[in-house]
Amino acid sequence: MALARADRLTFTYPEAGAPALRDVSLEIEPGEVVAVLGPSGSGKSTLLRAFAGLVPHFHGGRFQGRVEVAGRDTRSVPPSELAGTVASVFQDPEEQIVLSLVIREVAFGLENVGTAPTKIVARAQEALAAVGSEHLADRAVAELSGGELQRVCLASAVALRPKLLLLDEPTSQLDPGAASAFLEHVAGLGIAVLVSDHRPRRVLEHADRVLFLDGGRVLLDAPVPAAKDWLGENRPIWLGAAANGRAAAQSERVCRLDGVQFAYRAGLPVVDNVDLELFRGEIVALAGANGTGKTTIAKLAAGLLTPDSGTAELHGRAGMLLQDPTRYCIRERADEEVAVGVRGDRARAGEALGALGLGGMEARHPRDLSSGERERLALASVFVIEPDLLVLDEPTRGVDPQRKAELADLLHADSERRATLVVTHDEDFAIAVADRSVLVGEETVLA
Amino acid sequence: MRPGPAVALLAALAAAALLAHHLAAVGVVALLLFAVCLRAPAERRRFYLIGTLVSAGALFCLTPFIETIGSHPIWTGPIVPVLGQLDITHEELISAGVNALRLAAVGFAFAAYALLLDHDGLLQAVRFARPAALATRLMPTLERDAAGFLEALRGRGVEVNGVRGRAVLLSPLLASALERGLNLAEAMEARGYGRTGRTSVPRPRWRARDGVVIALAVAIVTAGVLWL
Repeated sequence: MALARADRLTFTYPEAGAPALRDVSLEIEPGEVVAVLGPSGSGKSTLLRAFAGLVPHFHGGRFQGRVEVAGRDTRSVPPSELAGTVASVFQDPEEQIVLSLVIREVAFGLENVGTAPTKIVARAQEALAAVGSEHLADRAVAELSGGELQRVCLASAVALRPKLLLLDEPTSQLDPGAASAFLEHVAGLGIAVLVSDHRPRRVLEHADRVLFLDGGRVLLDAPVPAAKDWLGENRPIWLGAAANGRAAAQSERVCRLDGVQFAYRAGLPVVDNVDLELFRGEIVALAGANGTGKTTIAKLAAGLLTPDSGTAELHGRAGMLLQDPTRYCIRERADEEVAVGVRGDRARAGEALGALGLGGMEARHPRDLSSGERERLALASVFVIEPDLLVLDEPTRGVDPQRKAELADLLHADSERRATLVVTHDEDFAIAVADRSVLVGEETVLA
Repeated sequence: MRPGPAVALLAALAAAALLAHHLAAVGVVALLLFAVCLRAPAERRRFYLIGTLVSAGALFCLTPFIETIGSHPIWTGPIVPVLGQLDITHEELISAGVNALRLAAVGFAFAAYALLLDHDGLLQAVRFARPAALATRLMPTLERDAAGFLEALRGRGVEVNGVRGRAVLLSPLLASALERGLNLAEAMEARGYGRTGRTSVPRPRWRARDGVVIALAVAIVTAGVLWL
């Protein structure tokens, strides 16, 4: 008997013109790992929220059809009552953390579902150990990296021992090794898992079955081998990008880090003895495990941080895209937001918006844009200043493979005008976009 | 140390600073609390320390012009409408110093509370613990958001200077807080918040040193009232 099922589910968010899900019917068996793929805005997150009962209880909107989890109709059971049977991990770990200590955070859900007080701490520690994070138990959440936070969120969900685990882009902030370990662990839990991810290659290795959504409809529902065939035929880009085969035309040096050291806390250097050179015309990918200081190196290169020792040279102007696109929501209109960096020149802002596929959205409020659109707005805000050194920190978070390919094309289009440094965990994107990759190790940068 | 006695100690030191009259006594309390704040990471404590020192400095500068006490003038200035003759007396300077140090002590005590204590543990026993815990984290979150907005602007080649420049960030900060609040509410509901039959982690046992700290807090307030 199926653990969960959606039967002719159609859902429209309040004030939305079109349904986010259209006539979706599917069943999830106990212990099955289902990969949910599809472009941005295809309804993946909405489907996950429907199985958690958050759609329609939390969001409102028009709900037709039926969703059942463990025999309970989600229309008559609120999400808080489904918690324990269902557990969710959302896209942004920073927006689901409630308490300030890791062990208390993991215990939060257990307290809510009425676990015996004497068992709460042991269950929380067990869950942390299960995701390889027992050493974080007494740390403050404010001190954790994005990757560590994601593992704490998974531990919080696993601690509930749910029958159905819903994961919405759970590895977006993890390095490839950590992402593999994360998914391997999830697949080994023996519970039903619905996992949405924009880096599908790795998810497909651990999934039993694939759903592909587009425009709110299920286009594909098949076991992994058949799904790979279908993707190869209909959406080849979802199976991985090819190397770009581009010969970079290097010219003068734009940036040089020489023996650079930087510490946020005295005596604890985040980067130590780092050397890096970036030349006009080349695109360099900066990769490495979580916590090795990639973002710090990028900020040192862009001049946002000053090294404690060593030399950082920048010839020309730098522009840097930070990881969080909500940092680019200061003004009331999209074109005004983009124009901030060019002294209010809305004509240039309009051109940049057009180049990023946001033409016609000039008057929209940045916060009314979808997460993928916000990511592109942030990119436009940095592109518009036409920097000599363009630094992008994780520009493909929450971006589907099609958009990633478009971004790679955009970066290639006039790359000879600047040096480009891309910090990324996304191996496919690095292969597609970069001329050269730099691996950040424990203490040094190795080209 | 349990967070309860730690809060009692911080509150006692702040109260002692407010109750004491001698410049040196208030200065010692403020200095002690400042030293406690230095245990927090430099990156995080900067905002609190600068805010407190600027406020205390402003109070020190303004007080002599507003108060009219003392008979030992150090400086006599022009007559200003409404305020009358501007002058600074020795007594006004002492009074300004005491008030500024009191404000600094209270500011440092709050900074130590915000930066160093386990707020979850502190609020665990309270019925509205979760909302209170979230409210306690509001300041550090806003602080991080503000730093993020400024960094994003610098990444676009825009330097923001002065109070007027930073005031532009108030509206996006509020919008961010509201948006985060909605996302968090959704995540909390998905994790069973609001369900009946809630339990909680057993609270740590009371130790002898916790009692000593409470006694010390009472002694500090008493000393502030009687001798300082």
